[in-house]
Amino acid sequence: MKNKLFLSFALFGWILTVCGPSFAHHGTASYKTDKVVVLKHVTVTKYVWANPHTMLLFDAKNDHGIVSHWAGEAGSPAAVRLLGWTKLSLQPGDVITVQLYPSKFESNVGRVEKIELANGTTLRDSPRGDRGVLSRY
Amino acid sequence: MRNPLLSCAIGLASALLVSSFAFAQNSPKPNYGGPEDLYEKLGDNGAGGAAPHRELTGFWAGRVAARLNPVAPMTPWGLEQFHLHKTTGDYPVAESNDPLKACDPLGFPRSMLFMTRGIAFTQMPGRVIEMFQFNRLWREIWTDGRPLPKDVGGRSAEAPDPRWYGYSVGHWENDYNFVVDTVGSDARSWLDNAGHPHSPELRVQERYTRVDHNNLDVTITIDDPKTYTKPFVITKGSFKWIPQQEFEEQFCVPSEEADYQKLIGEPAAHGTK
Repeated sequence: MKNKLFLSFALFGWILTVCGPSFAHHGTASYKTDKVVVLKHVTVTKYVWANPHTMLLFDAKNDHGIVSHWAGEAGSPAAVRLLGWTKLSLQPGDVITVQLYPSKFESNVGRVEKIELANGTTLRDSPRGDRGVLSRY
Repeated sequence: MRNPLLSCAIGLASALLVSSFAFAQNSPKPNYGGPEDLYEKLGDNGAGGAAPHRELTGFWAGRVAARLNPVAPMTPWGLEQFHLHKTTGDYPVAESNDPLKACDPLGFPRSMLFMTRGIAFTQMPGRVIEMFQFNRLWREIWTDGRPLPKDVGGRSAEAPDPRWYGYSVGHWENDYNFVVDTVGSDARSWLDNAGHPHSPELRVQERYTRVDHNNLDVTITIDDPKTYTKPFVITKGSFKWIPQQEFEEQFCVPSEEADYQKLIGEPAAHGTK
């Protein structure tokens, strides 16, 4: 199974190498905003309630027990507070499901779409309008 | 590789099939489940009574970002400056040169076009002070009849220096309309989030209209002949009386910004592997 994972990453790396021109990123922002990645039953390792962004670090474990470290950003406290978030919304160790827009590049980083807590509560991120700039703060 | 696009497509499909960490789905239509800002949350807050005469004092809620009109056609110099600006809308944050990325001041008039969740006014003898929730800063609007300074940024030793928030004078046109003229805004600041530039020749006019007790309108006109071929109204916005009459604390904190760049900005733009 480790071979499958290795093959996955290898293929992805190969795609980026071979298809460079197709993936040219100048003129676009960091994230793929047309796709949402769903990471189920991930474990929170750090929750940062700060400007310019609320940040969430978490570990995702695949079916074979292999852990990958992820980071997600959401709107500023001023923005997400209006949507029900608080500084206590997440704690290290919480098991949650995260939906995010992934980086266009090879990294486990994304812009949060929404978070589902263990108790069923859903926390949505703030709007990302104005060409992706609006909710930077 | 004879057909890189085909290879790319096949490779991507293979990677998605093999990977079992995560799966992608079509993006649902965003449903934020709440208001974008206090302005939206307040909704129609009613008139709250008649507008007081010649009075802006109080705390006001605005939109996170003003709704902007298209800018006037740019001059060749303006276009040259514009193309040097890399916005976070067009570039990964790590590659952007938006001054805000380093917590540099928004400057004026960008401070009236973005991060306007909260503004406040207080009136003192000879001046009106406008305060901003974002970064808890203020600007002085002189009402004692003094003229605007001339030759800001000029070569003479006496020429005043440009300022991030410029030099402002204001007057009451009548009991409900307060007009503010500003010159001398530091050209390192951007006009707006789209990276439109301005020159040291920028003149800005704000026209505040106290509609009633709870509502304040503003029209902002840009006149910068070095950058734009004609003056234009960049926004017509409105503000609502904040019932609690207080701000949230909302800073751009350089150390937190640095953490953000390390944890999110750089990996998002350049990968981590």
